[in-house]
Amino acid sequence: MSTEQVNTNNTSTKHLSVKRYLPDNSAESYWQEYELPVDDSTSLLDALNHIKEQLDSTLSYRWSCRMAICGSCGVMVNGIPKLGCKTFLRDYEGDIRIEPLSHFPVQRDLVVDMAIFLEHLAAVKPYLIDDNPAKPYDPTAPETYQQSPEQLARYKQFANCINCGLCYSACPQFGLNPEFLGPAALTLAHRYNLDSRDHGKKQRMAELNRHEGVWSCTFVGFCSKVCPKNVDPAAAVNQGKVEAAKHTLIALFKG
Amino acid sequence: MDKSSSHRLLPLKRNWWLKHRFFKLYMLREATVLPLVFFILCLLAGMVALLQGAESWQGWVDFMGSPIVLVLNLLALAASLFHAATFFVLFPRVMPLRIAGHSLPDQAIVAGQWAGVVAVALLFFWLLGRA
Ligand code: SF4
Ligand code: FES
Repeated sequence: MSTEQVNTNNTSTKHLSVKRYLPDNSAESYWQEYELPVDDSTSLLDALNHIKEQLDSTLSYRWSCRMAICGSCGVMVNGIPKLGCKTFLRDYEGDIRIEPLSHFPVQRDLVVDMAIFLEHLAAVKPYLIDDNPAKPYDPTAPETYQQSPEQLARYKQFANCINCGLCYSACPQFGLNPEFLGPAALTLAHRYNLDSRDHGKKQRMAELNRHEGVWSCTFVGFCSKVCPKNVDPAAAVNQGKVEAAKHTLIALFKG
Repeated sequence: MDKSSSHRLLPLKRNWWLKHRFFKLYMLREATVLPLVFFILCLLAGMVALLQGAESWQGWVDFMGSPIVLVLNLLALAASLFHAATFFVLFPRVMPLRIAGHSLPDQAIVAGQWAGVVAVALLFFWLLGRA
């Protein structure tokens, strides 16, 4: 795991098993083995690129930024969701099994259909909701969107999400019920609820405060373990439970 | 997107939690409720015995003293301490406490909760010691 002494000298041959699914050829998926040269700097994404360019051009997988920011290269590595570009083969001995992300329908090889994830993200109204109607520019008016560093700090961690979906593959509750809004969407909702510029909490509560919202979460906590950006979605979801409970109580007393 | 691909999605098997150490630990945390249910049933039986009179109360006291019941209740104690340990660590993440605009460090909140456990335990030892 040491990052200090990474060099390109330690070249060796490693063995990769990739779960293939080619719906045009066969309705069944199968494992395919690849042998490839790696060194200390070889990421899993580098390895997949090597396979595609040198060994087998039929392999499909997603990637773009290769620097853990676009969130498109998620796969299961030995059963644990990981970003291909942030996973280094030097950290693995023996069998390395690569599968498409769990809990999503597979389209082809390592490419999954993330439509339901995107629907859940959109459902929580992930944007600033401002009661004030759009105003013409008025130089004397207070600046609506001013925010102090302290106010920023309250939600900053939850704003680091790159929508990679690893947390959905880690979440057994999403695996059991895909209607569950899930870690990233609930975290995004909480991020906007915590934002001092936002006034949309009431509107979002309709989505959050229901069984498929925060109440499906049982704090397994694996989402926060696998998150490549340290967003801690489990914390956000469970803070959301406190907010949802408050919301219910207040509604009860207001009648 | 190709909706027909959705048939590739297999439902989770019942043994999903055996796949990973992290999930097993989670199930252990959830399973701590089982010995606690036994302890609660013991307490309820004690209350019923108390209402029924001296004889059945003595029967309940003997029952509570039997080795197997003692072992089960010690297990319940261990389970509740394990659950407390996991819960106390989660607590600051669910309810980050802020005093005068500064958030309290997580370790302080965890230590505070254990201090609460010790205080309640001492209070009960003192009360029972006087009786
Ligand atoms: S919360 Fe973390 S794991 Fe989940 S989608 Fe965002 S970056 Fe990925
Ligand atoms: S390629 Fe963009 S996150 Fe890995």
